[in-house]
Amino acid sequence: MTPNAKRLFIAVIAVQIVFLLGLVGYRESILSLGRTAVLETVPVDPRDLFKGEYVTLRYEISTIGEGPLAPQKNQYFLEGEINEGDTVYVNLTNIDSDVYRLFVQADKPSPYADLYIKGRATQVRNGTVTIEYGIEQYFLPEGRGKEIETADDVKVRVSINRSGTAAIKELIVDGTVWRP
Amino acid sequence: MDFESVGTPRFRLGIRFNRLIVVLSTLGAVLIASGIISFVAANWQGMPAMAKLFLLIVGQTAAYWIGYQLQFVRGYPRVGEAIMFTGAVWFGANVFLVAQSYHLGTDNPDLMILWFLGVLPLAYLARSTSITVMAVGIFTVGISWKAATWVDGPESAFLVMGSLFLTAALLYSIGMLHLRRANLKLHAGPYLISGALLAIGLAYVLTFNEVFEDTRSLTILDFQTLSGSYLALAGILSAVTVAALVVAVRNSDNNAVNPVGRYAEPGVVALVIAFGWFTATLPFNSIALYVTAFNLLLVLLIFGSIVLGIINRREALINVGIIFFVIDLSTRYIELTVDMLDTSLAFVVGGLLLLGVGYGMERARRQLLRQFGITRDHGTEANNDA
Repeated sequence: MTPNAKRLFIAVIAVQIVFLLGLVGYRESILSLGRTAVLETVPVDPRDLFKGEYVTLRYEISTIGEGPLAPQKNQYFLEGEINEGDTVYVNLTNIDSDVYRLFVQADKPSPYADLYIKGRATQVRNGTVTIEYGIEQYFLPEGRGKEIETADDVKVRVSINRSGTAAIKELIVDGTVWRP
Repeated sequence: MDFESVGTPRFRLGIRFNRLIVVLSTLGAVLIASGIISFVAANWQGMPAMAKLFLLIVGQTAAYWIGYQLQFVRGYPRVGEAIMFTGAVWFGANVFLVAQSYHLGTDNPDLMILWFLGVLPLAYLARSTSITVMAVGIFTVGISWKAATWVDGPESAFLVMGSLFLTAALLYSIGMLHLRRANLKLHAGPYLISGALLAIGLAYVLTFNEVFEDTRSLTILDFQTLSGSYLALAGILSAVTVAALVVAVRNSDNNAVNPVGRYAEPGVVALVIAFGWFTATLPFNSIALYVTAFNLLLVLLIFGSIVLGIINRREALINVGIIFFVIDLSTRYIELTVDMLDTSLAFVVGGLLLLGVGYGMERARRQLLRQFGITRDHGTEANNDA
């Protein structure tokens, strides 16, 4: 290997390490600096993956709209046009508490938003939007999936950064924080 | 014992022995890495964050360092390359492990593309065919998976398959470019094979009526309805591929390559580009026309692989063609006999036919390889073409 190739070789390895550290740092920054919110989940679906076990989490805000497929308790309002593949911002709380409707809109967060979460519209059908937030999987130690599956009430505490990106902090199972 | 004496039986023994070293070393290195990664994964929740990072990053870097030392400093190139390969696998495992630890979905093709971007430069710097195979394989799977996530209906499926045809053409043309440079030749094979497999696989899928019957209307798509971003992506893919083909043809050695070898290969790649656009736009309103067109393309690509493999002395390309020939033949047999013959009789007759075809093809393949001077060992090691 020539000296130049050797330098490049070291640079590539350094880039790989920086990338991994960057990924860890970014997620840690969301967890430590972000604002927290507790999200309601609807039925969870434990599955086995070849490298461990995880549960699939579907949130109350995973399906939003006025159709029968949207079971949310809060009242949401789809602002403007939302298409499949759009980046979507969902208000979790409003600045003004008199504004009772939580806005959902594409491209930028609503001006009424106090805390909002960013997701991607994966399906838009009959006025109902299905959204993924990148927090739909929770990995568990082997054999612990049943505890989540059999629980009556599962909530997820998430941390959300300024741009609306969320990271899972912990699960709250039947009212208590679940320790893996 | 001198295993490098070219032209003697010892040479072949040497190549087999070298392969054994590579296989054993790679298996050993991968087993060690798998053990450490499984240990970290199993004890993930109980380990302090810094310990996890230390184990993952130090392990990966150590693999690269040991690989480098053995391959380039100590004079153990095969064992060194195997350990370097393990470092590249380790990097991929780390990407997925970090994603998993932060509960990011690991069924995410973007992670594969990041893995590919991380290891591709290493393949060239370490002059490693095995890392090139891995990188191009990851790219092909990752980009196909990514494309599949864009599919949200029958129409978009055709758009995605159109872009995959263009990707196949691009991969193959990159392989052709590599062949024109002596120092890049050893990386050419994975690009050529991935491109050929992707194009032939797509053509095979599109030979079925059912694929087209699922569309609500065959005239929904035309150039006007393709989005600007799709047109830009497809346009860039096509333009880069055509540019690569032009450079490859210009740089081909007039004396070494006959006119068929020189122009037929770029011609077939250009046809794949045309079929990419054809698939994306579906300009006609006839299922029969589409099925016929893709059947013709499949036959052309299968025989093209075999013929170009023979002309350019690339054994792997011949094998791809032969494998798809048998798959296509079996499919057509099943389609033809499913309503005509009793199931058990169909299986027996089919099995006999396949055995006969297999026997005949093995004979023909051996004869072809012998005729063109490609022995199994020489075709892959000495020529390093594919």
